[in-house]
Amino acid sequence: MSAPLVWILFPMLLGVILIFVRNERWAAFVGSSLAFLLALAAWVLPIEATFTLGARIFKLTETFDVLGRQLVLTATDQPLLALIYISLCFWFAASATLKVAQRLVPLGLIITGLVVAALAVEPFLYAALLIEIAVLLATPLLLAPDQRPGRGLIRFLIFQTMAMPFILFSGWLLAGIEADPGNLALVLRAGILLGLGFLFLLGIFPFHTWIPLLTREAMPYAIGFVLWMFTTSALLFGAGFVDRYTWLRTTPALVNILTLAGTLMVASGGLLAAFQNHLGRMLGYAVIVEIGFSLLALSLGGAAGIDLFFLLLIPRMLALGIWAMSLSILKELAPTLTFSAVKGVGRAWPFAVAGIILAQLSLAGFPMLASFPTHQAVWEGLAQSSPGPALWVLLGCAGLIVGAIRSLAALMAAPEGTAWGIRETWPQRIFLVAGWLLLVGLGNFPQWTIPLLARLPGYFEHLGF
Amino acid sequence: MLILTPVIILLLNALLLLIIRITRPNFRHIWLIAAIGSLLAIAGVFLWRIDFPQIYQLPAWQPEAIFRTSPAWIADGLSWPYALALTVLSAAVVWTAVVRIEPNPMAWAGAFLLSALGILAVAAENPLTLVLVWAAIDLAELITMIRSTNGESQTEGVIVAFSARLAGTALVLWAGMHSIAAGISMDFTSVPAEVGLWLLIASGLRLGILPLHLPYQQETTVRRGFGTSLRLVAAASSLALLARISPSAIDTPLTSILTLLVAVGAVYTGWMWLRASDELTGRPFWVLGMASLAIAASLRANPIGSVAWGSALILGGGILFLYSARQRVLLWLLALGLLGVSALPFTATASGWHSGSTTLGLLMLPYLPAHALLLAGCIRHALHPGETSFESQQRWIQIPYLFGLALLIGPLIMLGIWGWSGAELIGIWWVALLTLGLAAGLVVLADRMQVRGGAAGSGGRWADILRLNWLYRFLWAGFRLISRASNVITNTLEGDGGILWSLVVLVLLLTLFSSGFH
Repeated sequence: MSAPLVWILFPMLLGVILIFVRNERWAAFVGSSLAFLLALAAWVLPIEATFTLGARIFKLTETFDVLGRQLVLTATDQPLLALIYISLCFWFAASATLKVAQRLVPLGLIITGLVVAALAVEPFLYAALLIEIAVLLATPLLLAPDQRPGRGLIRFLIFQTMAMPFILFSGWLLAGIEADPGNLALVLRAGILLGLGFLFLLGIFPFHTWIPLLTREAMPYAIGFVLWMFTTSALLFGAGFVDRYTWLRTTPALVNILTLAGTLMVASGGLLAAFQNHLGRMLGYAVIVEIGFSLLALSLGGAAGIDLFFLLLIPRMLALGIWAMSLSILKELAPTLTFSAVKGVGRAWPFAVAGIILAQLSLAGFPMLASFPTHQAVWEGLAQSSPGPALWVLLGCAGLIVGAIRSLAALMAAPEGTAWGIRETWPQRIFLVAGWLLLVGLGNFPQWTIPLLARLPGYFEHLGF
Repeated sequence: MLILTPVIILLLNALLLLIIRITRPNFRHIWLIAAIGSLLAIAGVFLWRIDFPQIYQLPAWQPEAIFRTSPAWIADGLSWPYALALTVLSAAVVWTAVVRIEPNPMAWAGAFLLSALGILAVAAENPLTLVLVWAAIDLAELITMIRSTNGESQTEGVIVAFSARLAGTALVLWAGMHSIAAGISMDFTSVPAEVGLWLLIASGLRLGILPLHLPYQQETTVRRGFGTSLRLVAAASSLALLARISPSAIDTPLTSILTLLVAVGAVYTGWMWLRASDELTGRPFWVLGMASLAIAASLRANPIGSVAWGSALILGGGILFLYSARQRVLLWLLALGLLGVSALPFTATASGWHSGSTTLGLLMLPYLPAHALLLAGCIRHALHPGETSFESQQRWIQIPYLFGLALLIGPLIMLGIWGWSGAELIGIWWVALLTLGLAAGLVVLADRMQVRGGAAGSGGRWADILRLNWLYRFLWAGFRLISRASNVITNTLEGDGGILWSLVVLVLLLTLFSSGFH
């Protein structure tokens, strides 16, 4: 048996089968159980070595041929697979409480399979195509059956699709550079095309507009999942490019470009978040800030930069999950999620409101919450190398906190005499409280993630060494 | 590990009360459990002195190459007085609760939790630990206050207070980054010169002094017991930072300007405290006024003095705020408390007027009337009839109540003799006598002129100016202006021509930055 079969094709196949399952709870149970088993398998099973299961002897091979291309998953990919699938398990398990499992689980499994395939495909360039297919498959997830596609969805499709030709074309040029590394004109052209491709793919300012537009239109939990999955895969894909091509890795301008792009993302996302009057859009801007932080972590370079790049992932997933779940709960009451629509709902939905505020504060780097240790380490790293951008980054985070405070003010602004109550269901309360505890736990003990993250930097061959 | 003993006892006590409240709501001896637990916590603080100073560090944050500092706490001469004050305050809240109408175990549990957090804050060994505990205290206060407020304006006040505290926390983080940019990893033992001032402003911002702001316009339902804990613990956690700033770190040209600014706030809050209708209404002004004296001591390069004023804020204030059942014969207890705040020789605040800086000695002058106003306010509020009369209480209630008040008075007297190295001080005794005389005169004058104010939020045009409301209105107008500009940008990029505009902006940015890369 080959590893890609287990972690790519099998979940995709099950995703197709689950499309026909009409029971929400079953879909969530099967999906989260499978994701958990796949994470466990990625953690314990060896690749390219024999192991016994009962009386049988197995061996997982690294490669799987498909249409003349190869999908390759090696032992160094296993920690990343474990991280992806354990995150998926959490997303699916919580979806059962929100009545979205029936759509999220099947499509989520297929999208995850495609994303893993994008990270495993050889030649590397075909990843752009696989990501594009995943983007197209995300459309039914983001659009309710009776909903017309809005501007955000269309722009999401346009920008992601525009990214593909740029990346493919730059890849074609990169092959030429490998043969003739001294050709500076070719290097410049490839660099510009690659840069443009990732501007669109990652939604880097000023091509970020699809993110807040989409978070305003779509079902919050689905968009939370999509944003987490696509930003993570795009960031890994981009870092993979840097890892693979020596000329790119050693270009002196790369650090400046990453610092500039990261600072722009954090500052613009954070400062614009401060003025939003829509809870969904606030989530979108927080995602923009997070993409910026990942770019800044990469810009720091060395082992610390790569460690930080991976350390950002778990707190981000956790905060996005809690935030998206809380918004989905509130959306049942106030479909528009504008400040005027949700005014004072904190007294009836305290768990969801606390979830929104804690998640937003966490992503803003509020002390004691999950993202604080890594954000602080990025600030410090940046302060050492470039104090100017460090100030802008701090301002961006302050903007996100202002947004959180304004959200809190709107959510708690109940008229005098409004009674307190709890309208969330018990499963929702349990998931949200578990999420808060994890946010606080990781904020005080970031070393908890080390067992999972210690082996992740090995995913890159050259970065961080 | 001894450092965590009182914290663990307080937390276990809070947990026990919570469990009993849920499982056996009618349990009769719940007060006794809380009272004994509170005394054990005080004993835990005294255990610190067995091994002095000592440091306790949590398991190091990993990877250590990235996280250079980890949470750690220190028990030393600066943290011990605050820890003692906070523990006896929580004990006094429980012991004096016998005279109040309804026993409230949840409020006691809350007071224990807050005191535990307060101890963790005052004993913080590095800025990282301090901001972590500050965040916990801020969230605890936010949740409690939101639960207890009613109506939009009160909720708004709670959120403004939370924002101001957050700004203070952000300043500490900024100070850390500033320090790292200068090549020094900041801890309390190595604070670069210009960074010390940032820390001081951070503390002032959290306390509501720099700039002067008063988010809680009126005290809410959490008044005597838990309310006192909430207000005083939050203040202590911010004051603790002042004691850690080394005098050399705040020796800048801005120091004298800040000293004068704080003096204006001190006089204003002292006046408001004097004219408040009762001690609970005036409580925010007491905190601000005493905290101003503590900040001024820090600015005069006298960290021990700031601890002295800070401890007096908690213990002296605690006596007055928990003194709800009253009788004239009990005034000697209050007099002992007043003595602790007076700065007379051998009292806890005897070191308060010292100055480590020769240039700032004269700037101490405006603080004398401020101190006199605070003392005069104490005398006035102590003379009020109170909520209930002491003599009408049963004997078994009178004894624990008196013991509760004595719990606060004892440490206040003891700190003057045994509080820190260099205690048993005569201090600048003539200044103390001067302020006491001034206070006596002010009490008589205020009584004759029938000076009596309303709620903390009331005040005329001068109050509006001194509280810098004009500045906040200006800032708010600026925020709305920027908000409109941001809306224009957002609408342009997200509108029908958004994709084209994005391309134009990209080209603009590339043009702007390309020269930088060359």
